Amino acid sequence: MKFTLVVYGAPHASEGAASALRFARALLEAGHSLYRVFFYGDGVHNGSALAAPPQDEQDLLGQWQRLQQAHNLDLVVCIAAAQRRGLLSESEASRLEKSAANLATGFTLAGLGQLAEAAAVCERVVTFGG
Amino acid sequence: MSKSILALCRQAPYGNALAREGLEAVLAAAAMDQTPAVLFCGDGVFQLVQQSPEGIGEKNLRRNIQALPMFGVETLHICRASLQQRGIDPVAIELPGAEIQLVENTTAFIDGFDHVLSF
Repeated sequence: MKFTLVVYGAPHASEGAASALRFARALLEAGHSLYRVFFYGDGVHNGSALAAPPQDEQDLLGQWQRLQQAHNLDLVVCIAAAQRRGLLSESEASRLEKSAANLATGFTLAGLGQLAEAAAVCERVVTFGG
Repeated sequence: MSKSILALCRQAPYGNALAREGLEAVLAAAAMDQTPAVLFCGDGVFQLVQQSPEGIGEKNLRRNIQALPMFGVETLHICRASLQQRGIDPVAIELPGAEIQLVENTTAFIDGFDHVLSF
């Protein structure tokens, strides 16, 4: 079955962020396909390259990145929600004349249309956090 | 391969960014010809009453609500029980160009859609 996950939970703040990651891993292990993960609202912080949790805590960013690489996942961060919260790619940072970019490797910025499109083509849309 | 989508608006207008971002998602989907149905329930019904958020430096969310009919969301579904619990008279809710439909059995209503995006 084809899934899309929508993540509203910020990492290390909402259990929703970690649950989404575990759910993604579980559905892939069960042989389903993960069409897209759409990070929205506070969930955009999952795509921050600057997260530096203590070493004895789970590294959510690294886990998303490894899962992304292993399965060529489409990890999409909503661009409008990201701009509000200070999550920028190199090109957005330069366009908005900000001093730094922090979008992590493996994540892409895109518009809300990606959520609507994913809902149209997937059998399941599952929301985490919020 | 199109799916019927319901957007569930559950948040009071200014306490959580999800209220505004939910409406933005609805408008974006509608602009892509995937117009979702919209159900206001829980504290989300507060999005429908008159607001004057200038005092807290916020943009009025009513503008996004008012844009819904222009984007093809012509019926606003509202949970009747949520209105009653919060003492809101359904008659006080009016939106030019939109039809207000009170939903008695939200469970059955929600069940009628392929996907639910909850905001």
